[in-house]
Amino acid sequence: MIAGLVVADHLSKWYGQVIGLNDVSVTVPPGITGLLGPNGAGKSTFMKLITGQLRPSQGRITVLGEPIWANPALYQRIGFCPEQDAFYERMTGLEWVTALVRLNGVTETEAAAMAARAIAEVELTEAANKKIGAYSKGMRQRIKMAQAIAHDPELLILDEPLSGMDPIARRKAIRMIKDWGRAGKSVIVSSHILHEIESMTANILLINQGRILAEGNVHQIRDLIDEHPHTVHIRAEHTRALAREFLGHDDVLSLKFEEGAVVVQTGKPDAFYARLTDLAASGAHGAIHEVTSPDDNLQAVFQYLVKS
Amino acid sequence: MSQPTRSAATPGMLSSAMRIFDLSLGQMLWSRRSVFLGVLLGGPVAIAIVLRVFDTLHAAGFKVNGAVVGGSSIFGMMIWLLFIRFIVPVLGVFYGTSLIADEVDDKTITYLFTRPIPRSAVLVGKYLAYLACTVLLVLPSVMLMFFLVAPTGGGSIGAAFPSLLADLGMLAVGLAAYGAVFALVGTRLKRPLVVGLVFAFGWEPAVLLFPGYLRRLTIAYYMQALVTHEMPQDSAVSMLLQIFHEVPSLWTSLLCLAGIIAVSLWLAGRAVEQREYVLEQ
Repeated sequence: MIAGLVVADHLSKWYGQVIGLNDVSVTVPPGITGLLGPNGAGKSTFMKLITGQLRPSQGRITVLGEPIWANPALYQRIGFCPEQDAFYERMTGLEWVTALVRLNGVTETEAAAMAARAIAEVELTEAANKKIGAYSKGMRQRIKMAQAIAHDPELLILDEPLSGMDPIARRKAIRMIKDWGRAGKSVIVSSHILHEIESMTANILLINQGRILAEGNVHQIRDLIDEHPHTVHIRAEHTRALAREFLGHDDVLSLKFEEGAVVVQTGKPDAFYARLTDLAASGAHGAIHEVTSPDDNLQAVFQYLVKS
Repeated sequence: MSQPTRSAATPGMLSSAMRIFDLSLGQMLWSRRSVFLGVLLGGPVAIAIVLRVFDTLHAAGFKVNGAVVGGSSIFGMMIWLLFIRFIVPVLGVFYGTSLIADEVDDKTITYLFTRPIPRSAVLVGKYLAYLACTVLLVLPSVMLMFFLVAPTGGGSIGAAFPSLLADLGMLAVGLAAYGAVFALVGTRLKRPLVVGLVFAFGWEPAVLLFPGYLRRLTIAYYMQALVTHEMPQDSAVSMLLQIFHEVPSLWTSLLCLAGIIAVSLWLAGRAVEQREYVLEQ
């Protein structure tokens, strides 16, 4: 067992005059760890450094006990699901995952079998032979996760894996990530939504303005979050019917309509998300296509933390 | 988590490059760039059709400054002027400079750079895919052109066939050389497309007009030695070709072109290994 899954020692990264990460020293333990911070906080820079896409400007970073920059052999032990919604659109999900797994040195036959297993694990078997260009946002997120897990890595690094998923897909993905953790895999997962991270793990790294603000148990900042209203953007089939349903609950502070979507401010995100998932599962108010959360509310909490 | 298959060893350079080749060839062949350049390759075929119609209507054949020009010579001129001096550099510039840039623009490079393969294998695999793709694009155009032009002026397809094979070899070498140089430009320089176009259509034609050592800093200089066709002796084109008077020997040219390809790819691979690719969010 490796004591520190990822060890950063006075790690800094700057892009010209812009600081991406500023003198970060942190040890990520085995298990599931959430990397939480608003957009522009340095999450993506940290993720790119721990996946060897960027070279530290200063300091040192090791992953699974080895430097990651210019060390391709280490990727046998790491699976990475990037944030960007980018694919070879003309390939089918199965072709794409197979082609990527082949880069791990397995034969075509082995790669196809591993890809099929991974696709089954993310529950995409029925769509495995469809072109990725025809996938929904949730399916695209899941096929990205399939390519990350297919070669059975020790460490999974997931950058905003739940972004854009509908509530049911989100719940399934959270369950999968927890299952991987229970199976003894280590997972580093980033998000700008505390609620998401909290549903996967209690162990978090709080990052803002290129610095680690806090590390440890998520519950310690839980109360602070509750003091701030949480904004949820829901793209759905029948937005007015959904809005009527939401208005019947005290935790909904405000509502507004955008094209094909309803934007809700809630004072109790946990209760709201649980209700939303049930609504999506029942289909009582039509299909819910996508749920996203702008990070203004989290930014407010970070500002509060920095001041205090 | 999927059941493990732990037998995999980290693949070597060649094996990795071939896997990237497999992944990239289809993407390249069906890209918008290939469709556009496929249309461009229709140009020489259209010219060949016009020549064939003209030849059929005027049975005396083509005369340049009073001398009859055979189909084989016309075909040779078309290969040199249209393909080696225009289409091959265009293909090299547009594909070569974008071998890695396309993956960066599409933000798919992350999937390749987070696998246990050397980054330079990505470049080499894509370079091989470029070669296969461009040969597949050029081949139908050259073949059609050959069958249309070779019989004109009393020429024979059978007699000209060996030189067709030599021409195809020359095109492949040209594609390899231009592609490698522009791959290097694409990985090392900003605005690689502009730099590539200036090199192919500014630097090369200009430098070839003057005697001296500068012409050795072009690819076209070495390509001249690979031309097998006899050109018409009294034409304006022949006068132009006389400018390339000082032509290196075939083996010197092949050796130099092989060196250019190897060094360019090595430097391009080094650049890819060392460079950080920051994808715009």
